[in-house]
Amino acid sequence: MKAFTIFKAVTKNWIRSRSGLFFSILFPVLLLLVFGAIFSGIGGTAQYSLFVQNLDTNTSGQPTEISTAFIEALNSTETFAISDIPADANATEYVRDKLGPLGGNIRILVISKGFQDDLLNGTLKVRIGIIYDTVTYFEPYMTDKQNAAISQGLSQMQQLNASIPDTKASLTIMLDPADQSAAMVKSIVMSVVNAFNYELIGAENVVEFNEASVTTKRYSNVDFYIPGITAAFIMTNGIIALTATTTEFKRRGIIKRLSLTPLTKIDWVVGNVLCQTLLNLMLAGIMIALGWVVFNVRVIPDALSIALILLGSIMFSGMGMALSGFIKDVEAASAIGNAIAFPMMFLSGTYFPMEIMPSYLQTVSKALPLTYVSEGLKHAMIYQNPEGTYINMAIVAMLAVVFIIVGAIVTRWKEK
Amino acid sequence: MAKPVVEVDTLVKQYGQLRAVDGISFKVHEEEVFAFLGPNGAGKTTTVEILECIRPLTSGTARIFGYEVTRNSDVVEIKRRIGALPQEFSALDKLTVKENIELIGDMYEKHLDVMEIIKLLDLEDKTNEKFENLSGGLKQRVGVAAALVSDPQLIFLDEPTTGLDPKARRDVWAVITNLKKLGKTVFLTTHYMEEAQMLADRVAIINKGKIAAIGSPQELIAQYGGLKILKIRGGDEALAGLLQKKYDKVSLNSNGDILVKIDDAEEFWRVMATLTDMKVGRDIEIQTPTIEDVFLKITGGIITEEGELKQ
Ligand SMILES: Nc1ncnc2c1ncn2[C@@H]1O[C@H](COP(=O)(O)OP(=O)(O)OP(=O)(O)O)[C@@H](O)[C@H]1O
Ligand SMILES: [Mg+2]
Repeated sequence: MKAFTIFKAVTKNWIRSRSGLFFSILFPVLLLLVFGAIFSGIGGTAQYSLFVQNLDTNTSGQPTEISTAFIEALNSTETFAISDIPADANATEYVRDKLGPLGGNIRILVISKGFQDDLLNGTLKVRIGIIYDTVTYFEPYMTDKQNAAISQGLSQMQQLNASIPDTKASLTIMLDPADQSAAMVKSIVMSVVNAFNYELIGAENVVEFNEASVTTKRYSNVDFYIPGITAAFIMTNGIIALTATTTEFKRRGIIKRLSLTPLTKIDWVVGNVLCQTLLNLMLAGIMIALGWVVFNVRVIPDALSIALILLGSIMFSGMGMALSGFIKDVEAASAIGNAIAFPMMFLSGTYFPMEIMPSYLQTVSKALPLTYVSEGLKHAMIYQNPEGTYINMAIVAMLAVVFIIVGAIVTRWKEK
Repeated sequence: MAKPVVEVDTLVKQYGQLRAVDGISFKVHEEEVFAFLGPNGAGKTTTVEILECIRPLTSGTARIFGYEVTRNSDVVEIKRRIGALPQEFSALDKLTVKENIELIGDMYEKHLDVMEIIKLLDLEDKTNEKFENLSGGLKQRVGVAAALVSDPQLIFLDEPTTGLDPKARRDVWAVITNLKKLGKTVFLTTHYMEEAQMLADRVAIINKGKIAAIGSPQELIAQYGGLKILKIRGGDEALAGLLQKKYDKVSLNSNGDILVKIDDAEEFWRVMATLTDMKVGRDIEIQTPTIEDVFLKITGGIITEEGELKQ
């Protein structure tokens, strides 16, 4: 494959270039260190204040077991400084009073009445569903007699299932849109909720729910920045660094020299994209390793996140190749690359949570490719939510194909 | 006559208002060194790049080994068979000489042994040197090596010696002479008159997109240069004017020398007699005309070291 020969050559050329190494790897790493230091406040754990109102009480007015367990779980993340709001108070007024005239961030989590019952019923229904499916699966291998007994049991189970209301335990979170950390707080609460759900459905005995087993990974602030920053640098490597390199290759006639050989331009484009992808995998690896060592982060990239990093690289490198098709000189390349990269970085929730942005900007962010890479990575690395990753991955994969094709079309293999 | 490797017929290239190549026709035969000689902006690179299939033409036809440069399926066949040194050749800075030549070689189905090519161009000492650390002359030699690595039958060299010091230039000349011995067809462009005269079997003088004259250096000289040239060192306008009245083939060169073209022996003695009559006591030199004289005759100017046309 000639693309592979090109890949080897441009990679070698890149690895031996100090400035390339600096801008593509060292600079992102330095930035991570700076951001990491700011957001983790090295030494002390930054804590978010969170007011919790637990309305889920039993008949004697005591908080239910599961709602207590949930608050414990929130506590165990060590990210929150939790204060209670009395059950009979008006939550917002109470918090405003507490915070006083100086203010502070209003973050309220309300656990609704019936949280425990709803959760247990909901879980029971899911479990019945699972048993039902399992039995149906084995049906063909049973004797008639066994089948008769089973179908009787099943119909009883179905009746029971129908009698359980289809409910979801509800939590309400109230956040101030002006709060910079709103998205972070929400994501941490969400990850606890996910873990909690999983524990409930997967537990041996739902009723004998064991508080101690409710552990979620304890995420730090830096954890939340790692997927975003990784995504952001995959982007800048693609649309700033690669665009500049390709434009320089063009200016110096290296592309012309290669176009004089039987090499096809699609091989040229793919070779460069491969090089960039390898580089980004290295970068992501270094960033995450650094997170582990320096900031003690917990995020672990799974196969899905690696796949997404790969697809993201391909997409942004394709975009870089497409851009360089329109650019004449290196100065223009970095100007245009920056003009696209920086707004995209800020509008796709990399550094600031999207929730704090006005809604029209949130709409804009939906149109930005970076949003899907960083959201997908957050789903994969932090929320451990494969569905969320798949959707983003599908979008990224589609865009990757589109950009590579555009890149190959606009790359000039002929003079004018 | 050997069969044509390059056949160009009324080729035109228009850049907006500018007609850079203006209906030229010529052929290049197997195993010959063919030179395009012309000043900056004459249309040399444009023509060569059209033949290399990396620039579209406006009208006319161009065939390489019988393949059409404009037909996509033919382009592949052409690119397989040609080697090229583009004007202002460059390679990947951080790769070594060997790696760069190999990279180009790997773009073909098969290529010559890279070390052999390196030896051929006398680059052994620099085999593992990074491209960025080479002098201009060495870089150019790497470019020639890359043009040869696929063992092409036809090699385009676009101004292979421009900007090189005299020693590096002679080195490249030696390589081209060697290529001819190996039976390759070489298409060379240059703005150095002596280069064309020395290396080429046939020269096309190109100016403002048109071929002004074409033929072997000897043919061109015989046709346009005359038998001999009398050069009167440090002549003045007055003397030139006087001579001009008697002979129409008198010109002044940039050094202020008077040049008188002589077509036969009889004419020579007549001019000498006139000079004796006029008691011209200056240095008189008898020169054999060169391509430079041909060029002067055809275009009314000369090409400077920088490639500019000077009237
Ligand atoms: N892409 C282009 N667009 C517009 N004009 C061009 C383009 N390329 C070349 N030209 C013009 O066409 C003319 C011929 O250019 P060309 O490069 O073929 O000349 P050349 O004989 O190779 O000269 P040089 O010695 O400078 O290399 C010049 O006037 C040049 O400015
Ligand atoms: Mg040229």
